[in-house]
Amino acid sequence: MLNTLLEQSSLFLQQLVNGVTLGSIYALIAVGYTMVYGVIQLINFAHGEIYMLGAFLSFSLVTGFFGIGLPFGLAVVIAVIFCALAGVFLDIVAYRPLRRAPRLAALITAIGMSIFLQNLALLIWGAQIKSFPRAVVPAFLFAPALQFGDVVISWLQVVILTTAVLLMVMLQLIVHYTRIGRAMRAIAQDKTAAALMGVNVDRVVSYTFALGSGLGGVAGILVGLYYNAVYPTMGYFAGIKAFAAAVLGGIGSIPGAILGGGILGLAEVFGGGYISSSYSDGIAYAVMILVILVKPTGLFGRFARDKA
Amino acid sequence: MKRDLSIILTLIFMLSLLSFSARARAQAETIKIPVASPFTGPLASFGEGVKNGALLKADEINAGGGINGKMVEIVLGDELCDPKEAAAVATKFANDPTVAIVIGHLCSSATLAALPIYKEAKLPAITPASTNPQIGKSSPYYFRNVYKDDFQGDFLARYAKQVKNFKKIAIFYEVNDYAMGLKKAFIRQARKLGLRVIGAESYMAETADFKAQLSKFKMMRPDAIFIPGYAPQATLLISQARSLGLKCAFFGADGLDDEIMLKNPDADGLFVTTPFLVDQGGAQVQDFVKRYREKFSIEPNWFAANTYDAVGLAAAAIAAVGLDREKVRAYLAGISSKEKAYQGITGATYFDKNGDCLKAAFVKTIKDGKWVSAEKQLQ
Repeated sequence: MLNTLLEQSSLFLQQLVNGVTLGSIYALIAVGYTMVYGVIQLINFAHGEIYMLGAFLSFSLVTGFFGIGLPFGLAVVIAVIFCALAGVFLDIVAYRPLRRAPRLAALITAIGMSIFLQNLALLIWGAQIKSFPRAVVPAFLFAPALQFGDVVISWLQVVILTTAVLLMVMLQLIVHYTRIGRAMRAIAQDKTAAALMGVNVDRVVSYTFALGSGLGGVAGILVGLYYNAVYPTMGYFAGIKAFAAAVLGGIGSIPGAILGGGILGLAEVFGGGYISSSYSDGIAYAVMILVILVKPTGLFGRFARDKA
Repeated sequence: MKRDLSIILTLIFMLSLLSFSARARAQAETIKIPVASPFTGPLASFGEGVKNGALLKADEINAGGGINGKMVEIVLGDELCDPKEAAAVATKFANDPTVAIVIGHLCSSATLAALPIYKEAKLPAITPASTNPQIGKSSPYYFRNVYKDDFQGDFLARYAKQVKNFKKIAIFYEVNDYAMGLKKAFIRQARKLGLRVIGAESYMAETADFKAQLSKFKMMRPDAIFIPGYAPQATLLISQARSLGLKCAFFGADGLDDEIMLKNPDADGLFVTTPFLVDQGGAQVQDFVKRYREKFSIEPNWFAANTYDAVGLAAAAIAAVGLDREKVRAYLAGISSKEKAYQGITGATYFDKNGDCLKAAFVKTIKDGKWVSAEKQLQ
C-alpha cells in the first residue's frame, strides 16, 4: 500500500518534471509569436521554421557539416545570432512590403515563408533525422543531475529550465526598462501615434523580430539536444503548439505566452501519462479550447478595440 | 458547324493518342519493371536497399541477355511511405499499358493504399517488405515474398519467452497498419505462452517526445519494451528511456533493422527479427553480398535481398508468359508448392492461396555498434 503510494507520487513528480521542461520550451517559442503579434498584429507562422533553423545550424556547426567543426558553446552563440538575423531578414523581405496591405495578405505570406523555409532545410540537410553525436556535446548534459527513488532529472532538463527562466526575466527587463522596450510597448498601443512621436517603427519591428527569433533559435537548439533529433518538419509541429500556447495565454501578452506554454506542456505530459498516450496532443488542445471558450481573449489578453 | 468541327478535332486527337500508345507498346525496346518505395523522406534508407536490390538484379538479368532478348529497365516510384503518395504512384503505373507487374510498396500503409488501384487495373504486384496480414487476403493481384506480421509477432513472443526468458513486457507501438498488426499478433501469442504484457502505449509518426509514457513504464518495471514501429522513432525512444534511467531490454521487428540504430550507443543490446541474415545463407548469398558491396560500397540489408528476389520472380514470370497482366498473375499464383518454388537468395518462395508466403525469421542484435546474428536462433 505504502509502496504503491510512493510509486504513484514519484511517477507524478517525474511527469511534473517532464511537463515543466516541455512547457518551458513551448514558452520560449510562444514568446516569439506573441511579441511579433504585439507590435504588428501579424501571426508569424514562419516562427517555427526559425526554431528549426536554430537546431539545424547548431547541429551543422558542431558536426562540421559546413566544413569546420566548432566548439559547442561557440556554435550555439553563432546559431542564435544567425536566427535573430534570419528573423529580421524575414521581416524585411516578406512582411515589410505588406505592412499596409490587408492583414490576410501578410498572414498568407507567413504561411508561404514557413513552407519555403521547411523545403529549404529539406534541400540542404535532407529528410533523415539528425542526431547530435555524443562526442561533440558536453557530456554532463546527459548525466542525471538529481536522482531520488525513481525520479530522474537530467542536467539537460535543468539547463532547459534555467535558460528559459533567465531569458524570460531578461526579456521582461528589456521590454519594461529599456528605450527599445518602451518603443515596442508604444507601437503595440498605437503605431501611428508612436511614429508621430518620433519612434522609428521599422527599426523597432526589426528589433522585435530579432529578439523573438533569437529566443526561438535557443528553443530549437535545446529541443534538438533534449530529444536528440533534428529534422525539417520539427518546427511545424512545435510552432502549432507554441501558437496554441500564445493564444491560450492571450496573444500579445508576454507573461501570457509563458503561462500558456507551461499549461500546454503540463496538459500534454499528464494527458499522455495518465489518460491516453494516443490523445496527448488532443488533450493539450482541448485544454486550450476550454480556456478560450471561457475567456475568449486568453488568460492575460485584454479586450482591445480593433485597431484596423 | 463550329461544334461539329471541335468534335471531329477531339476524335482525331483521341485516335492519334490511341495509335501512339499502341505503337509505344509494339515498339517498346525495354521491359519496364516499376519499383515503388520511399526513396526520399525519413525512411529513405530502407528504400535505398529496395532500389539497390532491384538494380543489382536488373544488371544481372541484362548481363545475361535480358528477358527474351529485351533489356530490363527499373522505373522508380518514390512515395515517401505516405499512403496518399503511394496511391498517386500506383495510379501512374496502373495506367501505363507497358507495365505488367509492379514491385512494391515498402510500408504496409502505403501498400494497402495502392492495393485497390492495382486490383482495379488487374495489375499484379509483389511487395518485398510489407508484412501487414490484410494485404494478401484483400486482392488476388497482390503477392509478397516476405513473412506476415502475425507470424513475426508470434515469433517474437516465443523468442522473448523461450530464449530470453522475459516475464513482463511493455509495448510502445506506432499508430500504423504495420505496427498495430505486429502488436496484435504479439499479444495473442504472449497470452498463450503466459508472457505478461503489462502495458501498451502508442505514438504517432511525428512524435519526438516519449518521456511521459516511458516514465509510466518505468514504474511498471518491465523486463523488456517491445517497439513495433520504425527505426527513426525507435532510436529516439530508446535514448529517452535510458536518460530516464530505464534499464530494461528493448526489442522490435524488421522495421527497426536499420543502420541508423548503430549510431545510437544506447541501442546496444537491441534485438530485432529480420527475414535475411548473411551468415545464415549459402554460397549464392555470399556471392550476392560480394557483388552488392562492390557495386554500392555498403552492406546489403534485408530490403535489398527481398527486392532482389522479387525482381527475379517478376522477370521469371515475364520470361515465361510475356507482358500480359492476367497471365503474369496466373503464373505467380501457379507457384503454389515447395516443388514449384522460386529459388532465390532468401530461400524458396512459393505462395499460398492468398499470395502470401511462409519464410523463416532470424534474430539479430546490436553488439559494440554492429549488427550481429543473435547467438540463439529459433525455428
